[in-house]
Amino acid sequence: MSAIKKIFGIVWTLMGVGIVPLVIMQAMKEITAKPTEENWIFWSIVIVVLMPIIAFSLITFGIFALKGEYDTIA
Amino acid sequence: MAQNVRDVAPAEEVTSTRRVIAASSVGTLIEWYDFYIFGSLAKIISEQFFPKDNPTAALLATLATFAAGFVIRPFGALFFGRLGDLIGRKYTFLVTLVIMGGSTFAIGLVPGYKTIGFFAPAIVFILRLLQGLALGGEYGGAATYVAEHSPAGKRGFWTSFIQTTATFGLFLSLGVILIVRQTLGVETFSDWGWRIPFILSAFLVAVSVFIRMRMSESPLFVKMKKEGKTSANPLAESFKEKDNLKMVLIALLGATAGQGVVWYTGQFYALSFLQNACNIEFVQSNLIISIALLIGTPFFIVFGSLSDKIGRKYIMMAGMLIAVIAYRPIYTVMYNEANLKNKVEVVEKKVVTVKNTVKGADSLITTVTTKAFTDGTSFKETVKAKFPVDPALKAALSKDKLKPETKKEVTLPQNLYYKMIGLVLIQVIFVTMVYGPIAAFLVEIFPTRIRYTSMSLPYHIGNGVFGGLVPLISTRLVEATRPAPNLPPADPLAGLWYPILIAGVSFVIGSLYISNKTNNLDTE
Repeated sequence: MSAIKKIFGIVWTLMGVGIVPLVIMQAMKEITAKPTEENWIFWSIVIVVLMPIIAFSLITFGIFALKGEYDTIA
Repeated sequence: MAQNVRDVAPAEEVTSTRRVIAASSVGTLIEWYDFYIFGSLAKIISEQFFPKDNPTAALLATLATFAAGFVIRPFGALFFGRLGDLIGRKYTFLVTLVIMGGSTFAIGLVPGYKTIGFFAPAIVFILRLLQGLALGGEYGGAATYVAEHSPAGKRGFWTSFIQTTATFGLFLSLGVILIVRQTLGVETFSDWGWRIPFILSAFLVAVSVFIRMRMSESPLFVKMKKEGKTSANPLAESFKEKDNLKMVLIALLGATAGQGVVWYTGQFYALSFLQNACNIEFVQSNLIISIALLIGTPFFIVFGSLSDKIGRKYIMMAGMLIAVIAYRPIYTVMYNEANLKNKVEVVEKKVVTVKNTVKGADSLITTVTTKAFTDGTSFKETVKAKFPVDPALKAALSKDKLKPETKKEVTLPQNLYYKMIGLVLIQVIFVTMVYGPIAAFLVEIFPTRIRYTSMSLPYHIGNGVFGGLVPLISTRLVEATRPAPNLPPADPLAGLWYPILIAGVSFVIGSLYISNKTNNLDTE
């Protein structure tokens, strides 16, 4: 079980890292194509609020999992 | 002096705990009521305070909706959580109640945009932020307070009463609005009657404050304070110390994020889907949700209680997994049952009426088409086209300004109406599975000295950010499948991918890393 927890730790970390460029690229693509106020508000909320929370929590959680911090919780 | 429920006789213990639960639940219910009143009356508030022709006011309207729900709630959790760990649970959640009630009451008194101009949206925006701040501090306090009074082995059962308050708060807000609207009439309600539900809050809060003032402080907090073990800096201890931070992360990613999206999908997205994708008539769609909520709410207590016996994790994870698997099939049935393309029209019953009225310089043409179908479904389409009588002025207007306003209303027959209630009820059951045990789960994974702070933040990020964004992101996902602005979306169920993804990830993390052991509170 500990090994699985650690392997998944890599997955969470990569997900956390990967989400940043993905979201920013998508936002730039959509805002450039249609620079409406609605688009700006939507992507601002995603980039300022949602993305940092997901990225920070997944990366930190993934690193903890990789280091075996959750091995004692069964 | 605080009385420890574990030191008293069993009968007295039950009475004392019941009083604690009643006092806490009523206050939390009123806070949810206050919070939802704003959302439920969003359209009227927007007309009164945030006129669309003023871009700054319109922007404030959007921010009032999102900022209060997403950004401010976690800040409230941090601010009041810290206070609750420093000075005590009782006084902190008394303060949140007063702030919430005061802000709600004040919104009911703010003069409209027509009277005081830009000050109106600015004041309402600030009051809405205060509401979000107070809500951020309330839930953690109430859950912690009840859990710290509850006997071990019954914590899931007792805290589940707190879990029912969010649903009852929504229910109460809808009920009060409906009663006031029916009593005063739609016109008077839109004019000034909408203020009554806000003003009524002052009375509700006064009663709740009176009840809460008479309650004693949490016995575990009193004990800890007496022993000098309270935290000097709960924020730093919660989020800078690795042992606590790792539990905050597991609570967020493995529980509250998934719970938040399941909660919002079952209670809010379902209503939005019925009204916008299925075009179900306003009263019927609200009744479908209300009845499903009413039948489903006792299950918060069923699953909270069950979690005392079989563990919190299994129930929460089962709720998430079933939701992930069942959402698309459930919504497919909902969509198909209301889809007129799947029905046979009774052509001879089709009625079209056209009415032309001239008001001032404008002409309004209203076309109403009603249709009946063999299964008993009825359909009404109202198209309103407004344009200047003067042809020169009409020619000068853009296509967008001349676009008619279309309203479609589908009214289902009795059998399909019950079927819809059943389908929404299944989703409410998912909500009760993930939400019923979560207060007990959260209080048990954090130590008493920082419990209020540590549990409040993941809860409000999970609910406020992950859950609160369901309507925004889901609508966006559906819109992305629309081939052209005037064509319907290719996949009306695309909005479900967001809650499915978040609940799916949460399920995997929760299943792998969360323990199913029911812990004792550390100072017991």
